[in-house]
Amino acid sequence: MIPKIAIEAVTIRYAGRAGAGEVVAVEGVDLRVQEGEFVCLVGPSGCGKTTLLRAVAGLQPVSKGTIQVTRSDPSRPATAMVFQGAAVFPWMTVLENVDYGLRTRGMPYAERTAEAQRWIRQVKLERFAEAYPHQLSGGMQQRVGLARAFAYNPEILLMDEPFGALDAQTRLILQDTLLELWQTSGCTILFVTHSIDEALTLGDRVVIMSARPGRIMGEERVSLARPREAVQLRSDPHYGEAFGRIWSQLREEVR
Amino acid sequence: MRLNRRWISVLSPLILVLVWEMLVQAGVLNRRFFPQPTKVIETLIDLSSTGTLWNELGISALRITVGFLIGSLIGISLGLLIGISQTASAALRPIITAINPIPKIALIPFVVLALGFTEWARVLSLAISVMPIMLLDTAAAVGRIDSRYFEVAQNYGASRWDTFWTVALPASLPSIMNSVKLGLSYSLTLIIGVELFGARQGIGKLIWDSASLYAVNKLGAGIVAIALTGWLITAAIDALTPSLIPWQPRPVDPRIEESPIQRQIRVWWRATRPWSFTAATIPAVLGTMIAAYQGHFNLLHGVLVMVGSIALQAGTNLINDFYDYRKGTDNEQSLGIGGAIQRKDLTPRQIFLGGISAFAVGSGIGLYLVSVSGPLILILGILSVLAGFFYTAGPAALAYTGLGEITVFIFMGPVIVVGAYYVQAGAVGWDVFWASLPIAFLVAAILHANNLRDMETDRRIGKRTLAIILGRKYANIEYYVLVGGTYAALIVTVILGISPLYTLITLITLPTAVNLMRRVVLNTEPAALNPVLRKTAQLHQRFGMLLVGGWVIALCLKLLSGN
Repeated sequence: MIPKIAIEAVTIRYAGRAGAGEVVAVEGVDLRVQEGEFVCLVGPSGCGKTTLLRAVAGLQPVSKGTIQVTRSDPSRPATAMVFQGAAVFPWMTVLENVDYGLRTRGMPYAERTAEAQRWIRQVKLERFAEAYPHQLSGGMQQRVGLARAFAYNPEILLMDEPFGALDAQTRLILQDTLLELWQTSGCTILFVTHSIDEALTLGDRVVIMSARPGRIMGEERVSLARPREAVQLRSDPHYGEAFGRIWSQLREEVR
Repeated sequence: MRLNRRWISVLSPLILVLVWEMLVQAGVLNRRFFPQPTKVIETLIDLSSTGTLWNELGISALRITVGFLIGSLIGISLGLLIGISQTASAALRPIITAINPIPKIALIPFVVLALGFTEWARVLSLAISVMPIMLLDTAAAVGRIDSRYFEVAQNYGASRWDTFWTVALPASLPSIMNSVKLGLSYSLTLIIGVELFGARQGIGKLIWDSASLYAVNKLGAGIVAIALTGWLITAAIDALTPSLIPWQPRPVDPRIEESPIQRQIRVWWRATRPWSFTAATIPAVLGTMIAAYQGHFNLLHGVLVMVGSIALQAGTNLINDFYDYRKGTDNEQSLGIGGAIQRKDLTPRQIFLGGISAFAVGSGIGLYLVSVSGPLILILGILSVLAGFFYTAGPAALAYTGLGEITVFIFMGPVIVVGAYYVQAGAVGWDVFWASLPIAFLVAAILHANNLRDMETDRRIGKRTLAIILGRKYANIEYYVLVGGTYAALIVTVILGISPLYTLITLITLPTAVNLMRRVVLNTEPAALNPVLRKTAQLHQRFGMLLVGGWVIALCLKLLSGN
């Protein structure tokens, strides 16, 4: 089976601050993601996982190796990225934000409004469709970010620590929301996080990266049954075992 | 403690003025060189009652408007271009950076050499001075935009054009508004210099003339007048900003130790629904500008017309609140508006008396205007007060019948425009009536959007609005007719030569209008139609300002070519 994303022997270097020479962010990374799979990348902060994700999105050039994305439906956009923090446009209402990707794709007004409203209902913000982001909490803003990404209907979603800035409780709720959205849309997700808990809750597979330069140290197949619910998972014995295995690999890298 | 400090800040300038006054009277400060505060006020009153002050200020305001418009439009557009295009930045930035430090006054002689002592020379001097500042400020504002937003746009496949309209422009708008404010104050400074060069009129000219005659009190009066103008302009821009930049969180004023008087003012101000005042001020300003375009203008009367129509509007709103409360139309359910009674801020009786007082103020101003213009104002005024009162009062309240739209159409459209025009010109023709129709359609559309939203609740309580009589399908068509009629009426009046060509700038709001019409068809839910109402009101505001703007441009160009 052809993988959806094929990252082969990728090295990414970029010029550091003046005088600091080159920074090697990622070195010799091989990673394959299958269609419909939810893969989480965990690693210590600064290990180059965000750089790798940006490279898949085409926002960062690769120094060595190849990244190949296989398209299966040319009518859908290939990738969309959900950013750290929500990065919703403060000057647009919730509806206009969610509608954004549909508008740039040139979808007719009536159709795209209906589509945007559908996703707004999915993230339970229908009462706030006309609100501006400054009127919403951080969690609600990130829900707008999720709705915007899912409404765009890409084949692959690239998520860069989207819930990193939220408090623990809001995080749990948004993780459930994300799982629901993913199940209805069936897209492929590559998700970057530094939280092992988050990776285990969401992913089919957790890929562990080392400290800079980022290399892949190993991976953990998550055998927890779906549909999952963030809080209940914690009491599953498999959860604790998997957590322990990942932590034993990561511990050395976190200083 | 806080209250004491507030008093100190009121008293300290008063004491300064008082000491100054005494020093001049005692002869410590030489009367030949130092203005005397009381005499300055006297002169100011004198100058404004003879109309001199308004004329001089008017001419200067005209020069500033045109000069600033030209300079800032070019500046902002080039600034945006430099901000988003590296190539444009490389080409233009060195030139602008070289020009900017030159004292702008030093450039005026060049312009005068090229164009002579003409009006265009003065206007262009202003434009050239304002342009580089606006340009650099705008470019800097674009540069400050968080790069994440551009990445998001890129990530969602936005074209350069999309990126400009959806990211660069809206994100830099708050800073641009700020530069506009600074630029305008700067223009006020410059106008004094510009009018040194062969101007026959203007506030700067008045100041220079007074100085050369040692008329220090008149000189002082001129300075006070220009300072007040600057303050007014800043206040006006601050007042307009929230409607232009609705996404900005408003600063929450910490209402610590609000005095009872402040509370009363706030409560009453809110009860009058100040956000609806543009419905009255836009037609009032429009009528005044049409008259000014045809050569009739008196600032004082123009201001009175505006204040008068605001008073009538406030009165209508208050009476409306009172009767809606009595009839039980507004409760927690209704996506209500005034609500001072519901919030227990004011008693129904207070609201009613407040409404009557507002009508009294409006009528008082109206009577004065009757005395300076003529009986037509009396007739229009009486009809307006009656319409305002019976809009929701009495057994046959207009708003609860199918006549709501037509009443609003007539009274918030032609009546105010024709009245405002008549106050200036003393006579009126059909052309003014026709020119008022676009905003008449649009103001009726606001009411209709409200009725479309409330159809279900209105039906339950037995209101028979036009929307209910027509039924959902034809009510939607009515919305099309009203919004479409706005643009159709405008285009027809332009073709017939009644409205100037420049009023077509209102057409830039057409996409919003089309958008709203589509939304009306797609939705029947009150929650979904609520934004339609809000945006229709906003459309009226923007369309109205642009329409007035079109007339002002025509007026400015006419005056400039006349001189």
